[in-house]
Amino acid sequence: MPADHPARDMQDTLYLEEPLDASGQLDTHPATLLRTHTSGMQIRYMETHDPPVRIIAPGLVYRRDTPDLTHSPMFQQVEGLLVGRRVTMADLKGTLEHFLRQLFDPEIDVMFRPSFFPYTEPSAEVFITCVFCQGNGCPVCKKTGWLEILGSGMVHPAVFEAVGYDPERYTGWAFGLGIDRVALLKYRVEDIRLFYDNDLRLLEQFPY
Amino acid sequence: MRILVSWLRDFVAVDVSIDELAAVLTMRGFEVSAVELAPATVQSNGEDAVLDLEITTNRPDCLSVFGIAREVSTIYGTELRVPHVDETTSLTTAEDGSDVSVAIDDPDLCPRYVASVADITLGPSPTWLAARLDAAGIRPINNIVDITNYVMLELGHPMHAFDLESLADRSIRVRKAASGETLRTLDGQERRLQHEMLVIADAVRPHAVAGVMGGADSEVSSDSRVVALESAYFRPTSVRRTSKRLALSTDASYRFERGADIEAPVVAMRRALTLLEQTGAGRIRGSIVDTYPHPKPSETVTLRHSRIARILGINVDPSFVVTTLDRLGFSVSPPSARAKSADEGQQWQIHIPPWRIDVGREIDLIEEVARHYGYDRLASTFPPLLQPPAPLSPYQRRQRLLNRVLTSGGCSEAINFSFADRTSTAPFVQDESDLVSIANPLSEKFTVLRPSLLPGLLDSLIRNRRREQRDIRLFEIGKRFRRTTGETLGIAIALTGGGAPEHWSSPERPVDLFDIKGLVERTCEALGAIPLFEQTVSRVLVTGRASSITGISRSTGEQVSLGIFGQLTPTIATNQGFPNTVDEVYVAELDLVALAAVAVDRDRLHATPVPRHPSVVRDLALSVDGTLPAAAVRDTIQIAAPDTLVSVREFDRYVGPGVPDGYVSLALRLTFRASDRTLTDVEVQAAVDAIVAALRDQHGATLR
Repeated sequence: MPADHPARDMQDTLYLEEPLDASGQLDTHPATLLRTHTSGMQIRYMETHDPPVRIIAPGLVYRRDTPDLTHSPMFQQVEGLLVGRRVTMADLKGTLEHFLRQLFDPEIDVMFRPSFFPYTEPSAEVFITCVFCQGNGCPVCKKTGWLEILGSGMVHPAVFEAVGYDPERYTGWAFGLGIDRVALLKYRVEDIRLFYDNDLRLLEQFPY
Repeated sequence: MRILVSWLRDFVAVDVSIDELAAVLTMRGFEVSAVELAPATVQSNGEDAVLDLEITTNRPDCLSVFGIAREVSTIYGTELRVPHVDETTSLTTAEDGSDVSVAIDDPDLCPRYVASVADITLGPSPTWLAARLDAAGIRPINNIVDITNYVMLELGHPMHAFDLESLADRSIRVRKAASGETLRTLDGQERRLQHEMLVIADAVRPHAVAGVMGGADSEVSSDSRVVALESAYFRPTSVRRTSKRLALSTDASYRFERGADIEAPVVAMRRALTLLEQTGAGRIRGSIVDTYPHPKPSETVTLRHSRIARILGINVDPSFVVTTLDRLGFSVSPPSARAKSADEGQQWQIHIPPWRIDVGREIDLIEEVARHYGYDRLASTFPPLLQPPAPLSPYQRRQRLLNRVLTSGGCSEAINFSFADRTSTAPFVQDESDLVSIANPLSEKFTVLRPSLLPGLLDSLIRNRRREQRDIRLFEIGKRFRRTTGETLGIAIALTGGGAPEHWSSPERPVDLFDIKGLVERTCEALGAIPLFEQTVSRVLVTGRASSITGISRSTGEQVSLGIFGQLTPTIATNQGFPNTVDEVYVAELDLVALAAVAVDRDRLHATPVPRHPSVVRDLALSVDGTLPAAAVRDTIQIAAPDTLVSVREFDRYVGPGVPDGYVSLALRLTFRASDRTLTDVEVQAAVDAIVAALRDQHGATLR
């Protein structure tokens, strides 16, 4: 990622005062940041493994956000990546539809809409029937009947080239979603801050 | 991006309702986030509205009415009508321009600059034009400025008008700013320019920040009689950097930094001149000056029909591919000579239109096909199984197991932030320099990465106390960060309040050292680790109620540190906000990686035969020094006993009448067994005698 890329913006990213790597050694990189998204794991994995690839990578991410109802300076994301000889966008659609119906409700509708992400093409934003109004329109879904739930797309050939995979031989797809957002919607929690507040009155509602 | 539907209809017939149009655009990747009524001043035939569109950063070509019209014409297969322009004005190069001279010092940052000079009659814009600007969210100013804005909204290409008399020598020079140069921009701000910023200057000084904002001194005003119109292309990275440095974002910079169309400047200029003429605002003097030293060649990309199916997983009709790309403005050359080759199938040469700066390779074209084919029409399939499902990692297995063990032990799982404030974490490190600091913390509360899970758990305990909870048991699994040891994975437990739920069947008792010890043992046991405890001194624990936890490494056989448990020092708790009561806080923290090194590998456990011979049990009642740790007694017994001793259990402890002061009576149950024979009384008695002798010699213990 170029040094002046918006993703490195000081406004959104937390940096350490001095570099630190996993073993506590002084790092050679100029600045260590607290990762703002988990996509990096896909690259790290592909750089060190030959295809086919099938991974799920959850993790904590950090943003320089003031906590409010929908923002937390720390939250959790999960990424999925599939790479193989015959992996298509139709497979992405089928897999995510199945996943979201398992996660929320077998009856929900799932909608794929064109979007733009830097590491996938074609890219899709994925929506589910609003769980609050069953798609009839309410303030939460801004009367659209739909809730945006994840981002996805076919891995961009440039990404494969960067990790030494042949894009003519391999295709793949990736998706990412916010675990907190899923939990907010699935369990009807009103405030993301509650996930990091450890209030027994909430925790004890989910004893398992 | 606000688009007035009646304006859109100038370029494409849309015989559908506004709602349908909004829905269809949304499904093609242009999210309509709001539909508003058109302002009353807009004159329109039929249904009208303003659509608020979210344009993704890769599609600057759609930051205009015409760009959206092109998409609509592709969707509905209707004709795209180009805006009316007068093509008669001649083009010249900079050298022979007479009314204004243009020089580009930095053709890398400004590859093309188109200028023209017009005599004007300044005044307000006609109502229809002002109303359209208004609908798009741009305030009408005067007929000249309004036309430049109108062209930007319509064609997506930003323009600028200078008062020509304000430009020294009637010259335009595109150059980098000199350090220390200043410019008062149209918003009245005095801007200090930096060297890498591109400016539009005259012979003497800057008059505009290129692609961002014009200068106040050359603003078109009521005194203006002649203007120089600018329609240029500026390098996106340069505009982005300058806009950011100046903290100044404008409609122009927003478009230039995403990437303008390098072929648009002439078209935009002609459209502006046509509108000047049409509205009576002005007329060109001379010709259009086009300075474009190194024209950019057009690009061609090969698109294979087979590749579309490879990516999308469906077979899209070749005629759909050709028609869609053609309507979007790509020119499609007929299938090449290799079209019928068996392995490749049909393929086309696609010429990329200059406004499609997002398209440079085959996948970009496939995206266009997919977008207009409709994601909703893609099949839903499952990928072929490539590998067997991966098992959970040892880390995942351990974490899930511990979650279950500790929740069934009455604890709730906490998740705290990885960062904390320096003051509350400082007691948990030997030396504050071990803390990892955050360079740009959001607030005082988040200045360091947590060196231990305990400060966060303590905070959670305190918050729960404030919310009328008294009996609190929390655990957390997470990363800890120190400069000396880096990132480590730990598990921590914190308890306060009652040791058991209140119930009539048993007296109430507060949580104590044995509760936390029990949970530590359960944690270790769950992973198959045998913990060893030893009294220790810790800066965070009460002396005498602090224990180290160690274990024997499976690989090296060495004793390794696993963590600590004990009673949290009350002042640490109260300094952090814990109420000053008799309630005690007990905590434990273990290193999960060290614990894993100590744990047995369940996959490699082999059974030993079950005993075939009976065991013999002997009970001993001893009187020993009350300060003697039970572990010391047990060690002595283990050393003195033969291999046939299989277990030692302390089953009673008594202090009172019959036992001297400072002594306790300890009841021990010894179990003996041999794997190859039934033990005789004589053998067992000899073993017991040896044990009693050793206890007497080493600890002064006496049989009672």
